[in-house]
Amino acid sequence: MDQSNKEHRKKSEKATAKKKLHTQGHNAKAFAVAAPGRMARNMMRSSDVNERKLHVPMVDRTPEDDPPPVIVTVVGPPGTGKTTLIKSLVRRMTKSTLSEVNGPITVVSGKRRRLTFIECPADDLNSMIDIAKVADLVLLMIDGNFGFEMETMEFLNLAQHHGMPRVLGVATHLDLFKSQSTLRATKKRLKHRFWTEVYQGAKLFYLSGVINGRYPDREILNLSRFISVMKFRPLKWRNEHPYLLADRITDITHPELLETQGKQIDRKVAIYGYLHGTPLPSTAGARVHLAGVGDYSISHVEKLPDPCPTPYFQQKLDEYERERVKEQGAGTTGAPRRRKRLDDRQKLIYAPMSDVGGVLMDKDAVFIDVGGKKPGDGPSFVPGQEKGEGERLVTSLQSVEKSISENFDGVGLQLFSNGQELHEADSDGENSVSEDEGDSNKDGGRKSLRKPKIYGKSIQEEDEEIDNLESDEEMEAGASDDDRPRQRRLVEVDFDAGNDASVNAHTDSEFELSDHEEELWNRSTASKLQGSKIRPRKWDIGKLIYMENIEPFDCIKRWKGELEDENEESGEQSEEEDFFKQADKPENKNTEAEDDLEKFKPHFETFKKLAAKWSSFDSLKGRFAGRPNLEQSSADNDEDDEELYGDFEDLENGDQEAASEQDSHSSNEDGDDGSDGAGSDNSFADFEKEEKKDLTTDQERERNAAKKESLRLQFEMEEGDNFKEDDPENEFDTWYELQKAKMAKQQEINNAELESMTPEQRQKIEGFKAGSYVRIVFDALPMEFVENFDARYPIIMGGLLPTELKFGILKARMRRHRWHKKILKTNDPLVLSLGWRRFQTLPIYTTTDSRTRNRMLKYTPEHSYCFASFYGPLCSPNTTFCGVQVVANSDTTGNFRISATGIIEEIDASVEIVKKLKLVGYPYKIFRNTAFIKDMFSSAMEVARFEGAQIKTVSGIRGEIKRALSKPEGHFRATFEDKILLSDIIILRSWYPVHIKKFYNPVTSLLLKNKSEWKGLRLTGQIRASQGLETPTNADSAYKKVERVERRFNGLKVPSSVQKTLPFKSQIHQMKPQKKKTYMAKRAVVLGGEEKKARSFMQKVFTISNAKDEKKKAKKQDERKERLKKLAKIEETKTEKEKERKKKFFSEHGKKRQFDSSADGASSKKRR
Amino acid sequence: MSSSRITSFQGSRNFRLLIVLATLSGKPIKIEKIRSDDLNPGLRDHEVSFLRLMEAVTNGSSIEISYTGTTIIYKPGIITGGSYTHNCPPSKPVGYYVEPMLYLAPFSKNKFSIIFRGVTASHNDAGVEAIKWGLLPVMEKFGVRECALHTLKRGSPPLGGGEVHLVVDSLIAQPVTMHALDTPQIASIRGVAYSTRVSPSMVNRMIEGARNVLRGLSCEVDITADVWRGENSGKSPGWGITLVAESKKGWRYFAENIGGAGDVPEDIGTQVAYELLEEISESAVVGRTQLPLAIVYMVIGKEDIGRLRITKSQVDERFIWLLRHIKKMFGTEVFLKPVDEPESDDIIVTIKGIGFTNTNKKTA
Repeated sequence: MDQSNKEHRKKSEKATAKKKLHTQGHNAKAFAVAAPGRMARNMMRSSDVNERKLHVPMVDRTPEDDPPPVIVTVVGPPGTGKTTLIKSLVRRMTKSTLSEVNGPITVVSGKRRRLTFIECPADDLNSMIDIAKVADLVLLMIDGNFGFEMETMEFLNLAQHHGMPRVLGVATHLDLFKSQSTLRATKKRLKHRFWTEVYQGAKLFYLSGVINGRYPDREILNLSRFISVMKFRPLKWRNEHPYLLADRITDITHPELLETQGKQIDRKVAIYGYLHGTPLPSTAGARVHLAGVGDYSISHVEKLPDPCPTPYFQQKLDEYERERVKEQGAGTTGAPRRRKRLDDRQKLIYAPMSDVGGVLMDKDAVFIDVGGKKPGDGPSFVPGQEKGEGERLVTSLQSVEKSISENFDGVGLQLFSNGQELHEADSDGENSVSEDEGDSNKDGGRKSLRKPKIYGKSIQEEDEEIDNLESDEEMEAGASDDDRPRQRRLVEVDFDAGNDASVNAHTDSEFELSDHEEELWNRSTASKLQGSKIRPRKWDIGKLIYMENIEPFDCIKRWKGELEDENEESGEQSEEEDFFKQADKPENKNTEAEDDLEKFKPHFETFKKLAAKWSSFDSLKGRFAGRPNLEQSSADNDEDDEELYGDFEDLENGDQEAASEQDSHSSNEDGDDGSDGAGSDNSFADFEKEEKKDLTTDQERERNAAKKESLRLQFEMEEGDNFKEDDPENEFDTWYELQKAKMAKQQEINNAELESMTPEQRQKIEGFKAGSYVRIVFDALPMEFVENFDARYPIIMGGLLPTELKFGILKARMRRHRWHKKILKTNDPLVLSLGWRRFQTLPIYTTTDSRTRNRMLKYTPEHSYCFASFYGPLCSPNTTFCGVQVVANSDTTGNFRISATGIIEEIDASVEIVKKLKLVGYPYKIFRNTAFIKDMFSSAMEVARFEGAQIKTVSGIRGEIKRALSKPEGHFRATFEDKILLSDIIILRSWYPVHIKKFYNPVTSLLLKNKSEWKGLRLTGQIRASQGLETPTNADSAYKKVERVERRFNGLKVPSSVQKTLPFKSQIHQMKPQKKKTYMAKRAVVLGGEEKKARSFMQKVFTISNAKDEKKKAKKQDERKERLKKLAKIEETKTEKEKERKKKFFSEHGKKRQFDSSADGASSKKRR
Repeated sequence: MSSSRITSFQGSRNFRLLIVLATLSGKPIKIEKIRSDDLNPGLRDHEVSFLRLMEAVTNGSSIEISYTGTTIIYKPGIITGGSYTHNCPPSKPVGYYVEPMLYLAPFSKNKFSIIFRGVTASHNDAGVEAIKWGLLPVMEKFGVRECALHTLKRGSPPLGGGEVHLVVDSLIAQPVTMHALDTPQIASIRGVAYSTRVSPSMVNRMIEGARNVLRGLSCEVDITADVWRGENSGKSPGWGITLVAESKKGWRYFAENIGGAGDVPEDIGTQVAYELLEEISESAVVGRTQLPLAIVYMVIGKEDIGRLRITKSQVDERFIWLLRHIKKMFGTEVFLKPVDEPESDDIIVTIKGIGFTNTNKKTA
């Protein structure tokens, strides 16, 4: 039987992974890298990317929990839709519609994030500068139709030199493009131009038309989502200074003062806002700068409850509350569920300067919020048109003529005023109300034809681009649309404004002291009554130290509880007297008192006492690292100098401790470290061994673990071992990581330490930290600040470091901005924006001559850095600044205004700058190498000053001034390295010191009625132009044609007597004059006959022909000129026509125009 | 405008410290009633000399001294440093002038290189060794690495004739934030016994005296003899000893004294040894003489919290005056809290720096 087997199936040729490896003809795995070039490129790129991520490690001083709101500023030229954007964003985030945007608007945007929106006035350079200093995020509005305008470019440059906040571009008016391709092209161009300004890949948003006075919801949603997840890097300046963007200000000057002394008096003003940056010191009198106002001392700071708390903060509060409730009674209150999204009631908005506001009650005023009402209801709270009982009540309250107190006694303050002058003098809140009423009718848009200053050329061409920002994700924060716009009205009821004058008169420590005193006094009287003994009370040394009216000696006594009982009462009494006398006791007679640090050596006991005390070293046992070699017996410390060599190991533990304690007691509690050392288990090897004896391994392990744990809890960054910085084997790969870890650790320590303090202590040590809402009171601000207050212009308060309070000379590296048209001249006033301040100063531009001297430059160099020295408030080196020549709008030409940028290099009290001075003289008598020089000096004294100075002729012969001549005053003798000529000019090059003019003129723009019209010191040219004066010219300075007389030198004449003696080689060879006539001279050719005639004829012919040619040429030239003229004329008319046409086109089709030509409501319709 | 911003003090207490703090904080100060009740009122010659030194190492500072010398107004300028030679009047030793320079030197525009001429030792003021072995290590702990004090000549009181050279090469932006929470362990005791224009045996006798006391300690004791002869030994005879206890981590405690007329060298040695023990027992991380320097450096640190352990006995009147003056100049308060260890009643001083930076230094 045949065996039937299954047919052999051939193995199928599958391309297995292994096969694939061999497809190239070799085993790919055998070679480590398949594509070495590509891998190298990849590695390069990834390391590039990683490196780019690195920044100089900087500690972020913004608190982690409850940070201040992010300041989002909306910047752009007029008419780009700034207000509309804010309105849209606010509506998106809080569902409330603003009818007007005025001042900062704080909204809650996320669980832990708040945003403060502020609109930068488009037409004010001052505000732009200030805003650039505080903005965390800039929404840069760009009119898509016009492209980048001057303001945009200026702002970008300002921001760059004040630490570059995050910038988001927002292009608007994109709905006006008719064709899609033009739109795309414009978008692309805008984007690329934006990238070159900010950074490659910077985000530019595109907003199309306005619907219902807002931008489309989808686009706003995207933008707000982008904002809500944005991260911010700490900026150096802001990380070193406290600052605040004022939410609102209130004039709290006592009304009576205004009544009696007039409105001109300095005002007491309270400024409210969230603190940013570093903590504001809580000590009174801290100096701050109010941008546009000046430097002032804070008289009083107070932390207020947060008007716009984050949900996270509220939640914490709730939890705290719940805990407390639970502790008090059986907490049955069901904990409310946490929500993923923001609740509607958590979407707070706080904008006291705008027309929306929550219920707000503070010391100075009460704002009555009258809630959401339906749109289209018309204005409420109009006297005479009240809609209900409540409104009538409020309006009647507003129109109350006299306050209750006045009604009663007729004296006092006028509280609820509707009088004209008190309206003005009163707080801004009321002003804003009245402004609201005035402004509510008109639209916020532009009223006149806009003349944009275009950067580059305007965009009306086409190319294409798409940047799709649409995405389908929903924003976390409430997506539900509540379309009922709530309109709120703010009514301020002014309470007693001056009532807090007396509150801040005391310092804390005095308060505490008086408390203590009172307590003590109470107790002592009580004890008198009871006749019982007083228990020594416990004093807190931390407080005692800073009670100025207790002598340090007493402090120590009280703290240690050594104040004797019997004389305590008398002590108290005398102390009370002291309290009133304010420690006016004469100083200790002894000039080198023990408590004076002038004496270096501290107090020691007498030799005998010391000897007695240190007969044994027991109290120092823990302090020495080495193994004890010769231990002294501690048991017999009553015997003086006997040294018994007892064995330490034999001692019982308890005995030893007791002994050491005894010891420390006997030595008057001085050596209290001994007990500590003995108790701790770290140092003594023997001691540990002793303990180890009766421990099992488990117990030992346990003990070790506990020890380890305690070590871990202790902060690792102790002295010395900074994360094993020097150890190459540490756990950090890079220096960067190490620094980061160090900072994190320090931050942890800070937080832990601060949390261990009581709130008062913490405030004292730390100050008011960023994120707290504070009210800052200034005692004497100029009245103009209040009177001319305009909520549109931001008020910024920046804290000043000690250096910044001093004035001196700053040396900076500076460059004229390359877009600024003119070079800058030394000593021409320049407005600098340096630190918080804006001030006008007179810089001197210098260069260094190979580092030997600073030589003055008359003008800034064209394309390179130079140095600038100027007088002003000092500032730490490495601070960047900008300079502008004019800030007033009326002086602004269409050009780029930022004229200089630079960085501070050095600060000093004085600086040495010189300029070159060349003194010129002429020789009048020349000896061999000596010459007498005239006309350089006018007196012998001057010559004496320059004796020994180096001089030089124009031809380069060097010399030295020797001595003044007695006779013609000012002439002197000089020697040279060679004989000079009488025609030589002698030059003395010297250096003349230049002094910096101490001119500092702060730009006080906020004090003006018209904020953008601040005019400082004018340029000399401007003054001359306004006065119609000629520029004086020095006749010598004028450039004239140099006329050089041909110099004739006589031939060399050697006297024959000399010539005779000369050697043959040096003989002057002269040929004898020839006597014979030459061959040519002998023959004379005379023209005659036919030839002569022919020649004269030919000459005549040529003459005529030449004359003809010339005539022809002249005529041709004339014709050509004529033709050119004609052509030019044609060209001119052509351009004129073109211009006309363009103008017409823009006036008809330009988008900006529609604003003005059409009515307010119609504009949005037209845009559809 | 500025008159209201002047901080005013009364009395001659902590005179140098006030001037130094004013210079560091940049605030003008006014000191009134300087020894106004004294028979010899007003500033002493050493104080005037110190003011002159301050004027030399700063630029733009102005000092107005009243007619009687009992009131001065000091408006600080910018610390510039540089090279300078200061002749110290013999009433105070050079240590009196060197000590305040240590507060300023790391924060100046240029490196400090100052030669002080005068007496190099006294009973109550800092001696050369005390500064060299006691104060400079504290500065090192705060990040001032390159600072040195060279003794070129020794000059004993009363005539002096010594010369020391202070060189501070480190210009730092701000001191390192300190975290010293443990009492360091002393590894060794070192010392210098020196003499000028007297027999070398005095030195050895002092060493002997000190050794006798310290013999029982568990660490190595190493005291060197330093005998100065000839040109460099000044104009008067004298001798003294400085003992330093040092820990592995670089903390030091010290005691010093000099011999006067009729003193027995052994006694001085013994006394200084006892004083060293006393100093060790009274101090936690830094000694009482080093404490002001450490505290001031902590105050002018970064805006972070630094901690330093001190003993209860270190909180004395000097300390309180120091803190009060710091509060007045910088507005900074320290926070004292007891350490966590149950057996010890030491205190941790917690200070938040004022965020000082050395603005005087030029960039790049």
